[in-house]
Amino acid sequence: MTEMVDPEMRPPQMPPNEVGIDRLLRRSMAVPIPTLSKDFDQRLLREVRRGSRPLDQYRRILLAAYGVVSVVVSAMVMRGQGLDWGVVSGTIVASLALVAITRLAWRATDTTLRHAAR
Amino acid sequence: MALALAENDAQLVERAQSGDEPAFAELVRRHSALVFRLAVSILGREFIPEAEDVTQEVFLKVHHAIGSFRGESEFRSWIYRITFNQAVNLKARVRFRSPHADESVLHDVATSEPGADRQMEVVQRDRALAECIQTLPEVYQSALRLHYWLGAGVGEVAELLGVPQNTAKSYLYRARQLLHGMLKEKGHSCD
Repeated sequence: MTEMVDPEMRPPQMPPNEVGIDRLLRRSMAVPIPTLSKDFDQRLLREVRRGSRPLDQYRRILLAAYGVVSVVVSAMVMRGQGLDWGVVSGTIVASLALVAITRLAWRATDTTLRHAAR
Repeated sequence: MALALAENDAQLVERAQSGDEPAFAELVRRHSALVFRLAVSILGREFIPEAEDVTQEVFLKVHHAIGSFRGESEFRSWIYRITFNQAVNLKARVRFRSPHADESVLHDVATSEPGADRQMEVVQRDRALAECIQTLPEVYQSALRLHYWLGAGVGEVAELLGVPQNTAKSYLYRARQLLHGMLKEKGHSCD
């Protein structure tokens, strides 16, 4: 859906030296104005609902189990390759730290929005 | 719904903060068109689908962060600021995708119809103008598109850009002056 703006609409107090560029801008920008899709609100609210749905109990347990199994399997594989426990635990801790940093970065985005609100 | 219509933004925000979905839906209904206009004014006419994506992204962010909104500024100023930042960031990423008109297309248009020379000149001047606009600071570009393309008055430009009316007026004035100078340098007349 589009609409047009009247190209002759001009403020009455325009200085004479600006009239030319004003007319040129009006003419060159006299193209249809876009509008949002008709179903935009519905699509957005669907997205909002999907994004705000909390993880259910089953998903939480599955995610935690996946995390524990990953750590155990990684430790076993690394030990199997002859690495000592220091290196194995260092690698695992570094991976977990990466996850924590990602979470912090995510929260920093929230803080930015909070500052924007002030 | 009738109740929601009677409420102001602050009341709706308060309800949305406590998880009231119809209140948030009403905020979306009230502000989505203006958020979209602001996004379009920053991204330009080549990126209308992206402007719709920005609008959606803004409301998703607002929904995520609405709990932290303290009401120290107006709700609409807050979302316009988020929109401006979001659209400017996206523009930096999609700029290289800007379509460029092919000179041969201009030549075909100009030579196949009457008044060819004049028409060619007009097309080239419009193209030069579009290029000059792209080099202006983001706020000038946005002010110009809001005013000349989307038909916004100075008051609306000021509100969407979050500046006083006099500043919005000076953005438009400075933008016109700069464009006039740039077109002159490129050998185009504004008359």
